[in-house]
Amino acid sequence: MQRNPDKFWNPYLAGVALGLVLLTSFLVMGSGLGASGASLRAGIAAIDLLVPGHVASTPPLARAAESEHVTWLVFEILGVLLGGVVAAYTSGRLKREVLKGPRIGNGARLALALAGGLLMGAAAKMTRGCTSGQALSGGALLSVGAWAFMFSVFGGGYALAFFLRRQWR
Amino acid sequence: MTFPILPAHELGLVLAVLIGFGFGFVLERAGFGRANKLAAQFYGHDMTVFKVMFSAIVTAMLGVVLASVVGLADFKALADHATSSTFLVPMVAGGFLLGAGFIVSGYCPGTSFVAMASGKIDALMTVIGVVAGQVLWAELEWRPGFATFHNAGNLGNFYLWELFRLPASSGPFVVALAVTVMAVGCFVGAEKLERVLAARADPRAIATPAGRPGRFVFAGLAAAAAFGLVGLATPTGAREGTRDAAGITPLALARRVFDEPWKVRIVDLRPIEACSAKRIPGAECVPAEKLDALGLADADPARDLVLVASEPLAGTPAAAAAYPGRVLALEGGWAAWEAFALAPPAPPAAGAPAADLEAYRLRAGIHAAMTGMKAAPPPVPTASPGAPRKAGGGGCSG
Repeated sequence: MQRNPDKFWNPYLAGVALGLVLLTSFLVMGSGLGASGASLRAGIAAIDLLVPGHVASTPPLARAAESEHVTWLVFEILGVLLGGVVAAYTSGRLKREVLKGPRIGNGARLALALAGGLLMGAAAKMTRGCTSGQALSGGALLSVGAWAFMFSVFGGGYALAFFLRRQWR
Repeated sequence: MTFPILPAHELGLVLAVLIGFGFGFVLERAGFGRANKLAAQFYGHDMTVFKVMFSAIVTAMLGVVLASVVGLADFKALADHATSSTFLVPMVAGGFLLGAGFIVSGYCPGTSFVAMASGKIDALMTVIGVVAGQVLWAELEWRPGFATFHNAGNLGNFYLWELFRLPASSGPFVVALAVTVMAVGCFVGAEKLERVLAARADPRAIATPAGRPGRFVFAGLAAAAAFGLVGLATPTGAREGTRDAAGITPLALARRVFDEPWKVRIVDLRPIEACSAKRIPGAECVPAEKLDALGLADADPARDLVLVASEPLAGTPAAAAAYPGRVLALEGGWAAWEAFALAPPAPPAAGAPAADLEAYRLRAGIHAAMTGMKAAPPPVPTASPGAPRKAGGGGCSG
Protein backbone atom coordinates (compact mmCIF):
# COMPACT_ATOMS: atom_id res chain seq x y z
CA MET A 1 0.00 0.00 0.00
CA GLN A 2 1.29 3.41 -0.93
CA ARG A 3 1.67 5.75 2.04
CA ASN A 4 1.27 9.44 1.50
CA PRO A 5 1.54 11.39 4.77
CA ASP A 6 -0.23 14.38 3.22
CA LYS A 7 -3.30 12.42 2.18
CA PHE A 8 -6.22 12.51 4.57
CA TRP A 9 -9.72 11.08 4.50
CA ASN A 10 -12.44 13.14 2.90
CA PRO A 11 -13.53 15.37 5.82
CA TYR A 12 -17.23 14.58 5.43
CA LEU A 13 -16.66 10.83 5.32
CA ALA A 14 -14.31 11.12 8.30
CA GLY A 15 -17.03 13.11 10.07
CA VAL A 16 -19.63 10.43 9.39
CA ALA A 17 -17.21 7.77 10.64
CA LEU A 18 -16.56 9.79 13.80
CA GLY A 19 -20.31 10.29 14.20
CA LEU A 20 -20.88 6.54 14.00
CA VAL A 21 -18.24 5.95 16.71
CA LEU A 22 -20.00 8.56 18.85
CA LEU A 23 -23.41 7.02 18.13
CA THR A 24 -22.09 3.60 19.18
CA SER A 25 -20.88 5.12 22.43
CA PHE A 26 -24.30 6.73 23.03
CA LEU A 27 -26.29 3.59 22.31
CA VAL A 28 -24.02 1.14 24.11
CA MET A 29 -22.60 3.12 27.02
CA GLY A 30 -25.27 5.80 27.35
CA SER A 31 -22.52 8.42 27.32
CA GLY A 32 -20.44 10.23 24.75
CA LEU A 33 -16.73 10.45 24.04
CA GLY A 34 -14.33 12.43 26.18
CA ALA A 35 -10.70 13.30 26.73
CA SER A 36 -10.02 15.83 29.47
CA GLY A 37 -11.37 13.58 32.24
CA ALA A 38 -8.56 11.13 31.53
CA SER A 39 -6.02 13.97 31.83
CA LEU A 40 -7.41 14.84 35.25
CA ARG A 41 -7.02 11.23 36.37
CA ALA A 42 -3.39 11.32 35.21
CA GLY A 43 -2.89 14.48 37.28
CA ILE A 44 -4.51 12.80 40.29
CA ALA A 45 -2.10 9.87 39.97
CA ALA A 46 0.83 12.30 39.94
CA ILE A 47 -0.45 14.18 43.00
CA ASP A 48 -0.94 10.92 44.87
CA LEU A 49 2.75 10.18 44.35
CA LEU A 50 3.96 13.65 45.35
CA VAL A 51 1.57 14.63 48.17
CA PRO A 52 -0.22 11.57 49.60
CA GLY A 53 -3.59 12.39 51.15
CA HIS A 54 -4.09 15.62 49.24
CA VAL A 55 -6.56 14.14 46.75
CA ALA A 56 -8.94 12.94 49.46
CA SER A 57 -9.05 16.42 51.03
CA THR A 58 -9.86 18.20 47.75
CA PRO A 59 -13.48 17.44 46.83
CA PRO A 60 -13.25 17.88 43.02
CA LEU A 61 -10.17 15.63 42.87
CA ALA A 62 -11.71 13.06 45.21
CA ARG A 63 -14.87 12.94 43.09
CA ALA A 64 -12.90 12.41 39.89
CA ALA A 65 -10.72 9.79 41.56
CA GLU A 66 -13.79 7.72 42.44
CA SER A 67 -15.90 8.33 39.35
CA GLU A 68 -16.56 5.21 37.28
CA HIS A 69 -17.16 7.39 34.26
CA VAL A 70 -13.68 8.91 34.55
CA THR A 71 -12.22 5.40 34.75
CA TRP A 72 -14.13 4.65 31.58
CA LEU A 73 -12.59 7.73 29.96
CA VAL A 74 -9.08 6.57 30.93
CA PHE A 75 -9.63 3.28 29.08
CA GLU A 76 -11.21 5.13 26.19
CA ILE A 77 -8.11 7.34 25.92
CA LEU A 78 -5.90 4.23 25.99
CA GLY A 79 -7.88 3.15 22.94
CA VAL A 80 -7.42 6.61 21.39
CA LEU A 81 -3.64 6.35 21.79
CA LEU A 82 -3.68 2.88 20.26
CA GLY A 83 -5.91 3.98 17.38
CA GLY A 84 -3.72 7.03 16.84
CA VAL A 85 -0.53 4.95 16.63
CA VAL A 86 -2.05 2.44 14.22
CA ALA A 87 -3.58 5.12 11.99
CA ALA A 88 -0.36 7.18 11.97
CA TYR A 89 1.82 4.16 11.25
CA THR A 90 -0.34 2.90 8.40
CA SER A 91 -0.48 6.34 6.80
CA GLY A 92 3.23 7.11 7.12
CA ARG A 93 2.74 9.88 9.69
CA LEU A 94 4.33 8.10 12.66
CA LYS A 95 7.40 10.29 13.13
CA ARG A 96 9.07 12.09 16.01
CA GLU A 97 8.89 15.78 15.12
CA VAL A 98 7.73 19.22 16.22
CA LEU A 99 4.86 20.56 14.15
CA LYS A 100 4.86 24.33 13.52
CA GLY A 101 4.80 27.04 10.90
CA PRO A 102 7.99 28.06 9.06
CA ARG A 103 8.66 31.24 11.05
CA ILE A 104 9.00 29.99 14.61
CA GLY A 105 11.71 28.08 16.49
CA ASN A 106 11.29 24.72 18.23
CA GLY A 107 11.71 26.15 21.73
CA ALA A 108 9.07 28.84 21.28
CA ARG A 109 6.69 26.34 19.70
CA LEU A 110 7.05 23.89 22.58
CA ALA A 111 6.53 26.65 25.15
CA LEU A 112 3.38 27.79 23.36
CA ALA A 113 2.13 24.20 23.12
CA LEU A 114 2.56 23.82 26.89
CA ALA A 115 0.92 27.18 27.64
CA GLY A 116 -2.01 26.42 25.34
CA GLY A 117 -2.45 23.05 26.99
CA LEU A 118 -2.51 24.68 30.43
CA LEU A 119 -5.21 27.12 29.29
CA MET A 120 -7.28 24.33 27.75
CA GLY A 121 -6.93 22.09 30.78
CA ALA A 122 -8.26 24.73 33.16
CA ALA A 123 -10.97 25.73 30.66
CA ALA A 124 -12.15 22.15 30.12
CA LYS A 125 -12.55 21.61 33.87
CA MET A 126 -14.59 24.82 34.05
CA THR A 127 -16.86 23.75 31.19
CA ARG A 128 -17.38 20.16 32.43
CA GLY A 129 -15.77 18.73 29.32
CA CYS A 130 -13.61 19.64 26.34
CA THR A 131 -14.31 19.74 22.63
CA SER A 132 -14.88 15.95 22.66
CA GLY A 133 -16.99 15.59 25.78
CA GLN A 134 -18.89 18.85 25.64
CA ALA A 135 -19.02 20.19 22.05
CA LEU A 136 -19.14 16.88 20.17
CA SER A 137 -21.15 14.68 22.53
CA GLY A 138 -23.30 17.38 24.14
CA GLY A 139 -23.77 19.12 20.79
CA ALA A 140 -25.12 15.96 19.16
CA LEU A 141 -27.68 15.67 21.98
CA LEU A 142 -28.67 19.34 21.59
CA SER A 143 -27.57 20.54 25.04
CA VAL A 144 -27.74 24.33 25.25
CA GLY A 145 -24.51 24.51 27.28
CA ALA A 146 -22.65 22.45 24.69
CA TRP A 147 -23.73 24.71 21.85
CA ALA A 148 -22.91 27.89 23.77
CA PHE A 149 -19.51 26.37 24.55
CA MET A 150 -18.91 25.44 20.91
CA PHE A 151 -19.59 28.94 19.60
CA SER A 152 -17.41 30.29 22.39
CA VAL A 153 -14.50 28.02 21.38
CA PHE A 154 -14.64 29.16 17.77
CA GLY A 155 -14.96 32.76 18.99
CA GLY A 156 -11.87 32.43 21.18
CA GLY A 157 -9.85 30.84 18.39
CA TYR A 158 -10.76 33.42 15.76
CA ALA A 159 -10.21 36.29 18.21
CA LEU A 160 -6.60 35.29 18.86
CA ALA A 161 -5.72 33.82 15.44
CA PHE A 162 -4.32 37.10 14.13
CA PHE A 163 -1.87 37.47 17.02
CA LEU A 164 -0.55 33.94 16.65
CA ARG A 165 -0.11 33.93 12.88
CA ARG A 166 3.69 33.83 13.22
CA GLN A 167 3.40 30.41 14.81
CA TRP A 168 1.44 28.88 11.96
CA ARG A 169 2.00 30.72 8.68
CA MET B 1 -36.46 1.40 25.15
CA THR B 2 -33.65 -0.93 24.07
CA PHE B 3 -30.79 1.55 24.16
CA PRO B 4 -28.55 2.45 25.86
CA ILE B 5 -27.39 -1.05 26.71
CA LEU B 6 -25.26 0.02 29.73
CA PRO B 7 -22.98 -3.03 30.06
CA ALA B 8 -21.38 -4.02 33.36
CA HIS B 9 -18.38 -1.96 34.47
CA GLU B 10 -15.66 -4.41 33.37
CA LEU B 11 -17.20 -5.13 29.97
CA GLY B 12 -17.69 -1.38 29.59
CA LEU B 13 -13.94 -0.86 30.05
CA VAL B 14 -13.16 -3.34 27.26
CA LEU B 15 -15.66 -1.54 25.03
CA ALA B 16 -14.05 1.76 26.07
CA VAL B 17 -10.76 0.67 24.51
CA LEU B 18 -12.54 -0.40 21.30
CA ILE B 19 -14.61 2.79 21.05
CA GLY B 20 -11.50 4.84 21.85
CA PHE B 21 -9.59 3.01 19.14
CA GLY B 22 -12.19 4.02 16.58
CA PHE B 23 -12.15 7.59 17.92
CA GLY B 24 -8.35 7.88 17.73
CA PHE B 25 -8.08 6.18 14.34
CA VAL B 26 -10.67 8.42 12.70
CA LEU B 27 -9.23 11.60 14.24
CA GLU B 28 -5.75 10.73 12.94
CA ARG B 29 -7.00 9.88 9.45
CA ALA B 30 -9.04 13.09 9.32
CA GLY B 31 -5.79 15.02 9.87
CA PHE B 32 -6.43 15.95 13.50
CA GLY B 33 -2.98 14.73 14.53
CA ARG B 34 -1.38 17.64 12.73
CA ALA B 35 -1.34 20.98 14.52
CA ASN B 36 -0.96 23.01 11.32
CA LYS B 37 -4.13 21.51 9.88
CA LEU B 38 -6.09 22.12 13.07
CA ALA B 39 -4.86 25.70 13.42
CA ALA B 40 -5.65 26.35 9.74
CA GLN B 41 -9.32 26.29 10.74
CA PHE B 42 -8.83 29.70 12.30
CA TYR B 43 -7.21 31.18 9.19
CA GLY B 44 -10.06 30.09 6.92
CA HIS B 45 -8.18 28.24 4.19
CA ASP B 46 -8.78 24.75 5.59
CA MET B 47 -12.11 24.21 7.32
CA THR B 48 -11.50 20.50 8.01
CA VAL B 49 -12.09 20.87 11.76
CA PHE B 50 -15.47 22.43 11.19
CA LYS B 51 -16.47 19.93 8.50
CA VAL B 52 -15.46 16.81 10.43
CA MET B 53 -16.92 18.05 13.70
CA PHE B 54 -20.28 19.05 12.29
CA SER B 55 -20.67 15.96 10.09
CA ALA B 56 -19.98 13.90 13.22
CA ILE B 57 -22.45 15.87 15.35
CA VAL B 58 -25.17 15.62 12.69
CA THR B 59 -24.52 11.90 12.10
CA ALA B 60 -24.69 10.97 15.78
CA MET B 61 -27.67 13.26 16.36
CA LEU B 62 -29.65 11.79 13.45
CA GLY B 63 -28.70 8.29 14.61
CA VAL B 64 -30.24 8.92 18.02
CA VAL B 65 -33.24 10.62 16.37
CA LEU B 66 -33.88 7.62 14.10
CA ALA B 67 -33.45 5.20 17.03
CA SER B 68 -36.04 7.26 18.93
CA VAL B 69 -38.45 7.35 15.99
CA VAL B 70 -38.52 3.56 15.76
CA GLY B 71 -38.81 3.28 19.54
CA LEU B 72 -35.38 1.81 20.32
CA ALA B 73 -34.24 4.79 22.37
CA ASP B 74 -35.63 7.92 23.99
CA PHE B 75 -33.83 11.08 22.87
CA LYS B 76 -34.37 13.03 26.09
CA ALA B 77 -33.66 10.11 28.41
CA LEU B 78 -30.41 9.39 26.57
CA ALA B 79 -29.48 13.07 26.58
CA ASP B 80 -30.19 13.33 30.32
CA HIS B 81 -27.89 10.37 30.85
CA ALA B 82 -25.08 11.47 28.56
CA THR B 83 -24.84 15.25 28.84
CA SER B 84 -23.79 17.41 31.74
CA SER B 85 -25.97 20.16 33.18
CA THR B 86 -25.70 23.54 31.52
CA PHE B 87 -23.66 26.04 33.55
CA LEU B 88 -23.94 28.97 31.20
CA VAL B 89 -21.39 31.38 32.69
CA PRO B 90 -18.37 29.08 33.09
CA MET B 91 -19.22 27.32 29.83
CA VAL B 92 -19.12 30.50 27.77
CA ALA B 93 -16.06 31.88 29.59
CA GLY B 94 -14.30 28.50 29.55
CA GLY B 95 -15.18 28.00 25.89
CA PHE B 96 -13.48 31.26 25.04
CA LEU B 97 -10.41 30.22 27.07
CA LEU B 98 -10.37 26.81 25.42
CA GLY B 99 -10.55 28.42 21.99
CA ALA B 100 -7.59 30.61 22.95
CA GLY B 101 -5.69 27.55 24.17
CA PHE B 102 -6.58 25.79 20.91
CA ILE B 103 -4.98 28.42 18.69
CA VAL B 104 -1.98 28.81 21.04
CA SER B 105 -1.23 25.07 21.24
CA GLY B 106 -2.61 23.95 17.89
CA TYR B 107 -4.57 21.11 19.48
CA CYS B 108 -7.62 20.45 21.58
CA PRO B 109 -7.35 18.04 24.53
CA GLY B 110 -8.56 15.02 22.50
CA THR B 111 -6.47 15.64 19.40
CA SER B 112 -3.34 16.27 21.48
CA PHE B 113 -3.54 12.62 22.60
CA VAL B 114 -3.76 11.46 18.99
CA ALA B 115 -0.85 13.66 17.88
CA MET B 116 1.23 12.54 20.86
CA ALA B 117 0.58 8.93 19.85
CA SER B 118 1.91 9.70 16.37
CA GLY B 119 5.15 11.06 17.82
CA LYS B 120 4.64 14.82 17.88
CA ILE B 121 6.72 16.40 20.65
CA ASP B 122 4.62 19.59 20.70
CA ALA B 123 1.53 17.47 21.35
CA LEU B 124 3.30 15.83 24.29
CA MET B 125 3.83 19.29 25.76
CA THR B 126 0.13 20.09 25.24
CA VAL B 127 -0.92 16.85 26.96
CA ILE B 128 1.26 17.78 29.96
CA GLY B 129 -0.24 21.28 29.92
CA VAL B 130 -3.80 19.93 29.90
CA VAL B 131 -3.07 17.66 32.86
CA ALA B 132 -1.63 20.59 34.82
CA GLY B 133 -4.52 22.87 33.84
CA GLN B 134 -7.14 20.31 34.89
CA VAL B 135 -5.51 19.90 38.29
CA LEU B 136 -5.10 23.66 38.66
CA TRP B 137 -8.80 24.39 38.14
CA ALA B 138 -9.87 21.39 40.23
CA GLU B 139 -7.82 22.90 43.06
CA LEU B 140 -9.56 26.25 42.65
CA GLU B 141 -13.14 25.48 41.58
CA TRP B 142 -14.55 24.63 45.00
CA ARG B 143 -12.87 27.42 46.95
CA PRO B 144 -14.93 30.43 48.02
CA GLY B 145 -15.09 33.03 45.28
CA PHE B 146 -14.24 30.54 42.54
CA ALA B 147 -17.19 28.29 43.40
CA THR B 148 -19.71 31.05 42.70
CA PHE B 149 -18.28 31.50 39.22
CA HIS B 150 -17.85 27.76 38.62
CA ASN B 151 -21.54 27.10 39.32
CA ALA B 152 -23.00 30.30 37.88
CA GLY B 153 -25.87 30.11 35.39
CA ASN B 154 -26.89 26.57 36.31
CA LEU B 155 -29.87 25.67 34.12
CA GLY B 156 -29.82 21.91 34.77
CA ASN B 157 -30.22 19.61 31.78
CA PHE B 158 -31.35 22.20 29.27
CA TYR B 159 -31.86 21.52 25.56
CA LEU B 160 -32.22 23.59 22.42
CA TRP B 161 -35.84 22.57 21.90
CA GLU B 162 -36.61 23.85 25.40
CA LEU B 163 -34.78 27.08 24.63
CA PHE B 164 -36.99 27.55 21.56
CA ARG B 165 -40.07 26.53 23.57
CA LEU B 166 -40.96 23.57 21.37
CA PRO B 167 -43.05 20.70 22.77
CA ALA B 168 -40.99 17.90 24.32
CA SER B 169 -42.62 15.27 22.09
CA SER B 170 -41.59 16.73 18.72
CA GLY B 171 -38.98 19.33 19.72
CA PRO B 172 -35.85 17.15 19.43
CA PHE B 173 -36.84 16.07 15.91
CA VAL B 174 -37.62 19.57 14.68
CA VAL B 175 -34.35 20.99 16.09
CA ALA B 176 -32.39 18.04 14.65
CA LEU B 177 -33.79 18.78 11.19
CA ALA B 178 -32.95 22.48 11.56
CA VAL B 179 -29.39 21.67 12.69
CA THR B 180 -28.95 19.34 9.69
CA VAL B 181 -30.15 21.98 7.24
CA MET B 182 -27.92 24.59 8.88
CA ALA B 183 -24.89 22.27 8.83
CA VAL B 184 -25.27 21.37 5.13
CA GLY B 185 -25.68 25.06 4.33
CA CYS B 186 -22.50 25.84 6.27
CA PHE B 187 -20.63 23.02 4.50
CA VAL B 188 -21.45 24.54 1.13
CA GLY B 189 -20.32 27.93 2.44
CA ALA B 190 -17.08 26.43 3.82
CA GLU B 191 -16.27 24.93 0.40
CA LYS B 192 -16.72 28.35 -1.21
CA LEU B 193 -14.59 30.10 1.42
CA GLU B 194 -11.77 27.58 1.00
CA ARG B 195 -11.70 28.14 -2.75
CA VAL B 196 -11.47 31.90 -2.25
CA LEU B 197 -8.63 31.62 0.28
CA ALA B 198 -6.86 28.66 -1.39
CA ALA B 199 -4.26 30.88 -3.08
CA ARG B 200 -2.78 31.80 0.32
CA ALA B 201 -2.81 28.24 1.64
CA ASP B 202 0.09 26.67 3.50
CA PRO B 203 1.19 23.70 1.34
CA ARG B 204 1.34 21.54 4.49
CA ALA B 205 -2.34 22.09 5.16
CA ILE B 206 -4.30 21.87 1.96
CA ALA B 207 -7.99 21.19 2.33
CA THR B 208 -9.45 18.02 0.87
CA PRO B 209 -12.33 19.15 -1.35
CA ALA B 210 -15.79 17.73 -0.75
CA GLY B 211 -15.94 16.07 -4.18
CA ARG B 212 -18.38 13.28 -4.89
CA PRO B 213 -18.19 11.64 -1.44
CA GLY B 214 -19.04 14.99 0.12
CA ARG B 215 -22.15 15.35 -1.98
CA PHE B 216 -23.18 11.80 -1.08
CA VAL B 217 -22.80 12.67 2.60
CA PHE B 218 -24.91 15.83 2.21
CA ALA B 219 -27.63 13.84 0.47
CA GLY B 220 -27.46 11.05 3.07
CA LEU B 221 -27.75 13.43 6.00
CA ALA B 222 -30.65 15.27 4.39
CA ALA B 223 -32.42 11.97 3.68
CA ALA B 224 -31.92 10.75 7.25
CA ALA B 225 -33.27 14.02 8.61
CA ALA B 226 -36.28 13.84 6.29
CA PHE B 227 -36.90 10.24 7.33
CA GLY B 228 -36.81 11.32 10.96
CA LEU B 229 -39.46 13.92 10.23
CA VAL B 230 -41.63 11.50 8.23
CA GLY B 231 -41.45 9.04 11.10
CA LEU B 232 -42.47 11.84 13.41
CA ALA B 233 -45.46 12.81 11.27
CA THR B 234 -46.70 9.23 10.97
CA PRO B 235 -48.94 8.59 13.98
CA THR B 236 -47.85 5.02 14.64
CA GLY B 237 -47.92 5.63 18.35
CA ALA B 238 -44.68 3.69 18.51
CA ARG B 239 -42.89 6.37 20.50
CA GLU B 240 -45.57 6.91 23.09
CA GLY B 241 -46.41 3.22 23.37
CA THR B 242 -42.87 2.10 24.00
CA ARG B 243 -41.91 4.82 26.41
CA ASP B 244 -40.98 2.57 29.28
CA ALA B 245 -40.11 4.17 32.56
CA ALA B 246 -36.48 3.68 33.52
CA GLY B 247 -35.97 1.70 36.70
CA ILE B 248 -34.71 3.15 39.97
CA THR B 249 -33.43 0.88 42.72
CA PRO B 250 -34.72 1.29 46.28
CA LEU B 251 -31.20 2.40 47.31
CA ALA B 252 -31.03 5.07 44.63
CA LEU B 253 -34.51 6.29 45.57
CA ALA B 254 -33.64 6.39 49.28
CA ARG B 255 -30.60 8.51 48.50
CA ARG B 256 -32.68 10.93 46.46
CA VAL B 257 -35.34 11.18 49.15
CA PHE B 258 -32.61 12.22 51.58
CA ASP B 259 -30.41 14.33 49.35
CA GLU B 260 -32.76 16.15 47.00
CA PRO B 261 -36.42 15.50 47.84
CA TRP B 262 -37.38 18.58 45.85
CA LYS B 263 -36.17 16.91 42.65
CA VAL B 264 -38.42 13.86 42.85
CA ARG B 265 -42.19 13.52 42.78
CA ILE B 266 -43.16 10.13 44.13
CA VAL B 267 -46.58 8.81 43.19
CA ASP B 268 -47.79 5.74 45.07
CA LEU B 269 -50.21 3.76 42.89
CA ARG B 270 -51.31 1.28 45.57
CA PRO B 271 -54.87 1.30 46.97
CA ILE B 272 -55.47 4.34 49.18
CA GLU B 273 -55.67 2.34 52.47
CA ALA B 274 -52.33 0.63 51.94
CA CYS B 275 -50.71 3.86 50.93
CA SER B 276 -52.06 5.88 53.87
CA ALA B 277 -50.79 3.25 56.28
CA LYS B 278 -47.19 3.21 55.07
CA ARG B 279 -45.52 5.05 52.25
CA ILE B 280 -42.23 6.50 51.12
CA PRO B 281 -41.73 9.91 52.75
CA GLY B 282 -43.17 12.61 50.54
CA ALA B 283 -45.12 10.21 48.32
CA GLU B 284 -48.54 11.20 46.99
CA CYS B 285 -51.24 8.52 47.32
CA VAL B 286 -52.83 8.26 43.89
CA PRO B 287 -54.45 4.89 43.15
CA ALA B 288 -53.66 3.73 39.61
CA GLU B 289 -57.20 4.32 38.33
CA LYS B 290 -57.13 7.96 39.46
CA LEU B 291 -53.80 8.75 37.78
CA ASP B 292 -55.55 10.46 34.85
CA ALA B 293 -57.03 13.07 37.20
CA LEU B 294 -53.54 14.24 38.16
CA GLY B 295 -53.02 16.01 34.83
CA LEU B 296 -49.43 14.80 34.54
CA ALA B 297 -49.23 15.76 30.88
CA ASP B 298 -49.31 19.44 31.84
CA ALA B 299 -47.33 19.15 35.09
CA ASP B 300 -44.04 20.93 35.72
CA PRO B 301 -41.33 18.61 34.36
CA ALA B 302 -38.60 19.87 36.72
CA ARG B 303 -39.00 16.95 39.12
CA ASP B 304 -38.51 13.31 38.16
CA LEU B 305 -41.71 11.31 38.48
CA VAL B 306 -41.20 8.08 40.45
CA LEU B 307 -43.95 5.47 40.25
CA VAL B 308 -44.43 3.03 43.13
CA ALA B 309 -46.76 0.09 42.59
CA SER B 310 -47.64 -2.89 44.79
CA GLU B 311 -45.80 -5.24 42.44
CA PRO B 312 -43.30 -4.49 39.66
CA LEU B 313 -44.94 -2.42 36.92
CA ALA B 314 -45.58 -4.28 33.67
CA GLY B 315 -45.69 -1.11 31.59
CA THR B 316 -45.89 2.61 32.13
CA PRO B 317 -49.51 3.81 32.53
CA ALA B 318 -50.48 6.13 29.67
CA ALA B 319 -51.18 9.01 32.06
CA ALA B 320 -47.67 8.79 33.51
CA ALA B 321 -46.04 8.32 30.11
CA ALA B 322 -47.49 11.67 29.10
CA TYR B 323 -45.46 13.40 31.85
CA PRO B 324 -43.04 15.77 30.10
CA GLY B 325 -40.16 15.12 32.53
CA ARG B 326 -38.33 11.92 33.40
CA VAL B 327 -40.44 8.97 34.51
CA LEU B 328 -38.87 6.36 36.78
CA ALA B 329 -40.39 3.18 38.18
CA LEU B 330 -39.30 1.79 41.53
CA GLU B 331 -37.71 -1.56 40.75
CA GLY B 332 -39.58 -4.36 42.49
CA GLY B 333 -42.36 -2.00 43.54
CA TRP B 334 -43.46 -1.48 47.14
CA ALA B 335 -42.40 -4.99 48.17
CA ALA B 336 -38.79 -4.20 47.30
CA TRP B 337 -38.96 -0.92 49.24
CA GLU B 338 -40.41 -2.63 52.28
CA ALA B 339 -37.71 -5.30 52.20
CA PHE B 340 -35.00 -2.72 51.68
CA ALA B 341 -35.89 0.24 53.84
CA LEU B 342 -38.41 -0.98 56.43
CA ALA B 343 -36.88 -4.33 57.40
CA PRO B 344 -33.89 -4.14 59.74
CA PRO B 345 -30.76 -5.31 57.92
CA ALA B 346 -28.95 -8.36 59.22
CA PRO B 347 -25.72 -7.36 60.94
CA PRO B 348 -22.65 -8.68 59.15
CA ALA B 349 -20.68 -11.52 60.66
CA ALA B 350 -17.55 -10.73 62.64
CA GLY B 351 -14.60 -10.24 60.34
CA ALA B 352 -16.75 -9.38 57.35
CA PRO B 353 -14.98 -7.40 54.61
CA ALA B 354 -15.03 -3.62 54.89
CA ALA B 355 -17.42 -3.29 51.92
CA ASP B 356 -20.04 -5.41 53.73
CA LEU B 357 -19.66 -3.33 56.88
CA GLU B 358 -20.08 -0.15 54.88
CA ALA B 359 -23.19 -1.52 53.16
CA TYR B 360 -24.61 -2.53 56.53
CA ARG B 361 -24.05 0.91 58.01
CA LEU B 362 -25.79 2.52 55.07
CA ARG B 363 -28.77 0.15 55.25
CA ALA B 364 -29.06 0.55 58.99
CA GLY B 365 -29.01 4.32 58.61
CA ILE B 366 -31.73 4.27 55.98
CA HIS B 367 -33.81 1.86 58.07
CA ALA B 368 -33.54 4.06 61.17
CA ALA B 369 -34.42 7.21 59.27
CA MET B 370 -37.31 5.70 57.35
CA THR B 371 -38.97 3.94 60.27
CA GLY B 372 -38.35 6.74 62.77
CA MET B 373 -39.45 9.46 60.43
CA LYS B 374 -42.85 10.79 61.47
CA ALA B 375 -42.75 14.29 60.10
CA ALA B 376 -43.20 15.13 56.46
CA PRO B 377 -39.97 15.64 54.52
CA PRO B 378 -38.74 19.19 54.00
CA PRO B 379 -41.00 21.30 51.79
CA VAL B 380 -40.10 22.18 48.23
CA PRO B 381 -37.73 25.15 48.43
CA THR B 382 -38.83 28.18 46.52
CA ALA B 383 -35.33 28.91 45.25
CA SER B 384 -34.28 27.33 41.95
CA PRO B 385 -33.29 23.70 42.48
CA GLY B 386 -29.82 24.30 41.08
CA ALA B 387 -28.89 27.12 43.44
CA PRO B 388 -25.21 26.78 44.32
CA ARG B 389 -24.69 24.90 47.49
CA LYS B 390 -22.55 26.44 50.14
CA ALA B 391 -19.06 25.09 49.78
CA GLY B 392 -17.55 23.22 52.69
CA GLY B 393 -20.82 22.84 54.55
CA GLY B 394 -19.78 24.55 57.87
CA GLY B 395 -21.02 23.72 61.35
CA CYS B 396 -20.59 20.42 63.07
CA SER B 397 -21.37 18.42 59.94
CA GLY B 398 -18.12 19.50 58.30
